[in-house]
Amino acid sequence: MGSLKGFLEIGRVNFERRPIEERIHDWQEVYQEFPEDKLQAQAARCMDCGIPFCHQGCPLGNIIPDWNDLVYRGQWQEALYRLLATNNFPEFTGRICPAPCEGSCVLGINADPVTIKNIEVTIIDRAFKEGLIRARRPVVRTGKAVAVVGSGPAGLAAAAQLNQAGHWVTVFERADRIGGLLRYGIPEFKMEKHILDRRLNIMREEGVMFRINANIGINVPVEELRREFDAILLAGGATHARDLQVPGRELKGIHFAMDYLQLQNKRCEGDKIPDSEFITAKDKHVVIIGGGDTGADCLGTAHRQGARSIVQFELLSKPPLERAPDNPWPNWPNIFRTSSAHEEGGEREYSVLTKKFAGRDGHVAQLHAVRVEFEGRNIKEVPRTEFTLDVDLVLLAMGFFGPERNGMLEQLGVAVNERGNVATNAEKMTSVPGIYAAGDMARGQSLVVWAIREGREAAKFVDKYLMGHTDLP
Amino acid sequence: MSTALGPERNLLQPKPESCRMIKILSPIIDNDDLAKLRNISLAGFRSVTLPMRFKTSEGGEGMRSALKDLFETAGAAIRSGATIVILSDRQVDNDYAPIPSLLATSGLHHHLVREGLRTKATLIVETGDAREVHHYCLLIGYGASAINPYLAFETLDDMIRQGLLTGIDHRKAVNHYTKAVKKGVLKVMSKMGISTLQSYRGAQIFEAIGLDQKFVDTYFTNTPSRIGGVGLDEIAAETIERHRRAFPSRPMRLPDLDWGGHYQWRQDGEYHMYNPETIHKLQYSTRTSNYKVFKEYSELINSASARLCTLRGLMELKFADNPVPIEEVEPVESIMKRFATGAMSFGSISKEAHETLAIAMNRIGGRSNTGEGGEDPARYIPDPNGDSRCSAIKQVASARFGVTSQYLVSANELQIKMAQGAKPGEGGQLPGHKVDEVIARVRYATPGVGLISPPPHHDIYSIEDLAQLIYDLKNSNPRARISVKLVAEVGVGTIAAGVAKAHSDVVLISGDSGGTGASPLTSIKHAGIPWELGLAETHQVLVQNNLRSRIIVQTDGQLKTGRDVVIAALLGAEEYGFATSALIVSGCIMMRVCHLNTCPVGVATQDPVLREKFTGKPEHVVNYFRMIAEEVREFMAKIGFRTIDEMVGRRDKLDTRKAIDHWKATKLDLSPMLEMPEVPAHVHVRRVHQQDHGLDKALDNLLLELAKDALEYKKPVEMQLPIRNANRTVGTILGSEVTRRYGAEGLPDDSINIRFTGSAGQSFGAFLPKGISLMLEGDANDYFGKGLSGGKLVVFPPTAATFKAEENIIVGNVVLYGATSGEAFIRGVAGERFAVRNSGAIAVVEGIGDHGCEYMTGGRVIVLGRTGRNFAAGMSGGIAYIVDQDGDFAERCNLEMVDLESLEDAQEEQFVRDLIARHMRLTNSARAQHMLDDWAQYREKLVKIMPLDYRRVLAEKKVQAAKTYVMVHHG
Repeated sequence: MGSLKGFLEIGRVNFERRPIEERIHDWQEVYQEFPEDKLQAQAARCMDCGIPFCHQGCPLGNIIPDWNDLVYRGQWQEALYRLLATNNFPEFTGRICPAPCEGSCVLGINADPVTIKNIEVTIIDRAFKEGLIRARRPVVRTGKAVAVVGSGPAGLAAAAQLNQAGHWVTVFERADRIGGLLRYGIPEFKMEKHILDRRLNIMREEGVMFRINANIGINVPVEELRREFDAILLAGGATHARDLQVPGRELKGIHFAMDYLQLQNKRCEGDKIPDSEFITAKDKHVVIIGGGDTGADCLGTAHRQGARSIVQFELLSKPPLERAPDNPWPNWPNIFRTSSAHEEGGEREYSVLTKKFAGRDGHVAQLHAVRVEFEGRNIKEVPRTEFTLDVDLVLLAMGFFGPERNGMLEQLGVAVNERGNVATNAEKMTSVPGIYAAGDMARGQSLVVWAIREGREAAKFVDKYLMGHTDLP
Repeated sequence: MSTALGPERNLLQPKPESCRMIKILSPIIDNDDLAKLRNISLAGFRSVTLPMRFKTSEGGEGMRSALKDLFETAGAAIRSGATIVILSDRQVDNDYAPIPSLLATSGLHHHLVREGLRTKATLIVETGDAREVHHYCLLIGYGASAINPYLAFETLDDMIRQGLLTGIDHRKAVNHYTKAVKKGVLKVMSKMGISTLQSYRGAQIFEAIGLDQKFVDTYFTNTPSRIGGVGLDEIAAETIERHRRAFPSRPMRLPDLDWGGHYQWRQDGEYHMYNPETIHKLQYSTRTSNYKVFKEYSELINSASARLCTLRGLMELKFADNPVPIEEVEPVESIMKRFATGAMSFGSISKEAHETLAIAMNRIGGRSNTGEGGEDPARYIPDPNGDSRCSAIKQVASARFGVTSQYLVSANELQIKMAQGAKPGEGGQLPGHKVDEVIARVRYATPGVGLISPPPHHDIYSIEDLAQLIYDLKNSNPRARISVKLVAEVGVGTIAAGVAKAHSDVVLISGDSGGTGASPLTSIKHAGIPWELGLAETHQVLVQNNLRSRIIVQTDGQLKTGRDVVIAALLGAEEYGFATSALIVSGCIMMRVCHLNTCPVGVATQDPVLREKFTGKPEHVVNYFRMIAEEVREFMAKIGFRTIDEMVGRRDKLDTRKAIDHWKATKLDLSPMLEMPEVPAHVHVRRVHQQDHGLDKALDNLLLELAKDALEYKKPVEMQLPIRNANRTVGTILGSEVTRRYGAEGLPDDSINIRFTGSAGQSFGAFLPKGISLMLEGDANDYFGKGLSGGKLVVFPPTAATFKAEENIIVGNVVLYGATSGEAFIRGVAGERFAVRNSGAIAVVEGIGDHGCEYMTGGRVIVLGRTGRNFAAGMSGGIAYIVDQDGDFAERCNLEMVDLESLEDAQEEQFVRDLIARHMRLTNSARAQHMLDDWAQYREKLVKIMPLDYRRVLAEKKVQAAKTYVMVHHG
């Protein structure tokens, strides 16, 4: 730790976002450049704890105190190595991770935590800029072939690791581009997709092979996978979206968030999508159902598309501004947060239960809802709080159940657990020997950072399975 | 730290050749020096380099035969004239792994001893594996004369190359590293009481934990290793695993090394029992009084056995077939009375943290501990709500900070700290930036000046001295029990037996794993042994000698859960100490910066801004101990005990046979710890009766009677009594009575005036408070005026004596040790270590022995005659005046921390002259008379010994006072 009293003398300074008026007219990332010296000062706030809770809070086990100190001392390259030791893709997590590390930062007990995420992204962006991130082809090839199904963060992390271990890795993706949720789930304003492309190019150069439009069990038979590969890793995500089973759900103008976000992301990629196939919020009254991160992604997208009004509903009650007594440090703080999209406008309504939709000409026109209270875990509707809202576009951002079971999973014959996810043992193997699962597919919906961790872990066990032992971290 | 290399010759027939050795200035040598030794061409010296390596493909057998070859080759080389044997692991490659340098060195050392060749050659180790202080200590302790840690040097080069070390070149970096290692080794040697490298080399004062006996016999001959453990095959396997990672078949990692996680917790690193999960659960459960979460915490800690963190983790509790109904088990309230918190001083931890622990322990009837930093008298007064911030245990440590009569009287236990579990052999250290005004006041020290407690007590050099201190303290407060804190180590049982015989009421066996972040890393990691071993031995020895019945055995050292307490009880402890856990409950998150004053949660800091962040509450600590006790009850019910008393020493309820499922633990054998000596039925295995302190025979019983009027009605009393050297610690019980009745104020001066005639025993006037004056016509033994606390002591030779008083010893050694206030006038010469750790008393003496005024922090000392050498070593406060008759005082003064000056002004001169005049009046001193008669001449010979720190503080005070003055005038 370079600075003994940094945490006392320096206050937390976040990255600044571009002016709202400017940013809602484009799709570029919302954050502005942050001066390097100021960032180093932020790194000096790290206390280099004897027991760094951030390092536990981070699902990847990022060795945060080490690289904080190195950044403070200007040792960017060392910091980079320390960062890459636990995280394959800091350029993703540094942009889109909600940063559980910061929630468990020891400084957070009685002050503002260290801006860990900002430091992370600066280390990696700087390294890219300086050309330090180059393809590292494995020295030894084992001759073993591994299929990774799904090219989201879990699949990519596993592929990168397994490739480093010397295996020939092929990543299968059913969509037309590689990246999974990173590509089509995350809006451009949170992570510009050239960041993803840059990483994919390096992986290709390192020897990872990618196959797009390859839907296992549909247009690629599972037998091919079994025949051609020594091990299979399933990382297909939890794409079975939670639906809202209320009258009027069949009306037009009600869409799943992922369908909505994907279309905009494709347009941002330059795809020509006719308006008839596109979902836009332009000049519409929009309701987003679901108060989570995906809801916020819809919100920011709708702002940029030019919505007339946007309301976001959340079933749960409004979280407190400060930690509640039963939500102590170092747990993830369940507090009221304002993302860049919230800052840009729209209303947030809590404790709202949508009862039904009413339509005009087959298109949604009104939403009927009621306010609710919680008694423990039971939801109770509050009498006489029913209300209606005029609406042209409803986006359902209510989370996911788990992986889609028909098709690949069925044909491979892997068992599913009581939560609907692919069942795995402690070494990430499914009920079928040689077939592994990782990420949301095995864990249920979660964060990108968890997906990367899952992918890395699975890679370790796949390597062990193939070689008898493993040196993968 | 210089040492000599080359063959040693016959000690009994020293010849000129005996001196033909090569002198090196440091046992850590750089590559150039090693090259010189390797290529030496001086007559009488020949070096040979032998490889420390084995073929990995041959496994443990390969290592065994490589060692055998190495030993035989070395023996042959020495027989044919080699005098310098260099063991080197530089020749490591894809096929060969290094033999751990310690194993090779020690193995060869013992082989050569057995062969009778050892003194004919010097061992030098060229190795990549030595890097920490402890490694060097071990290598030297097992026979190496010099070590070349080439990999450590190359690492420095690499760090310079990468820009991690800036503003430094190779030579300088190597010098700094070498210097740091040297200092570290020196510190370790001093802890062990060894002064020269030559004595430390091959002394092998180590205890092995977890090494197989046969293995130890072969390679580490005569090293104690009590519980078996790994042998050569396991060590080879680990070495091969490391080698495999260094030469991987599929290299795939980034250029980065493992982070280890020994000193700071890391997810994939060394397992720490306190980690984010356990700390969180402990804090959350105690803050919300949630027993369910507490059980999750203790389950995590207890199940850490599989991770081989502790010896107790390797033990199983034997549950009864018919458990006792839990309602019949002794209640939580009575169990909690057996709990104590550890000795952490106010100074090392904040006022808030310290008082939180005190309040909590007083609420549950347990005991908190002052630590060695004294205690603010304000805490002796209970709070309006009935809480008490007064620590039940008052520690008496080597520095005697703030050990006043009042401090002693307000204790219900007085603990003599012989050593600290986490850092045996070391004194406490409080860096200057933590010594603020308040702490300095409580400790009778100088603000801003770092405080180092000397490792030894200056009044304890033998078990008899310890017995004397126990007696002194018992006299200073007959109602308090006396406890002696020892550190677990091999042989602690024998010491504990001595402590029991010395009439201590309690003996505390402190384990190795405690200690705050302020303890030196080498000590935290490598000093001391687990309390399980120390406690087991202590209990065995005490029972064997039928001493167990009269002493309470307490243990501490990272007790964390109810299960820990139960195991401590079964191994023989009646009481249980907690420190780290209690701090964590109070908010500590183990930053390990206790020495930096930057604790971000206000626990181990004196910074007012940070102290405000302290959130601990006595309730949390109370909750913690309640839940511990509750868990203890649950285990008691399951094992079948209704009371703790029944449980003490019941080792038959422990099982160690269940093999632990880990390849490195299978050869451990804990059964020696569980052995119980066969003793007759009348021999008790727990404390059942009180120690006989012999206070009923004290002269003070008579003094109390005679001083009744003064004690009860504050009427001045005078008396005359004979005294003889069997009368020890005279005046101390009387003093305790004065303090008990009248507090720190004491009585008006000379309220109780006693004139003794004869030879006084040890500790005359110890801890004497204000209002009592003892005049002694005759002489006195050691410890005269120990801890003087406001009283007045006068000693002079019998009026009939014909010798010259100023040339003869009249009082013994260690006079006024730890005195905090009061006056002493000594007509005659005192022995060694006069006024060591004096922090406020005024003394006039006519001559003293060596080490006068060592570590002094306050008061005034006037020496009218010669002093011994090393005067004023470590002195940071107070002032001494010496009459430098022969003009050679400077030679005998330790000038590291003091300046020699002349008197400042007439006021100061008057002060000194007045004191000498009083000395003359009180003792009829001829020497004083002579000086006063010829003052003009003697004033010129007066030397003032002024501590640099003290001068700075006085100057600051002056500036402050001037500022206040200006403000008053302008305001």
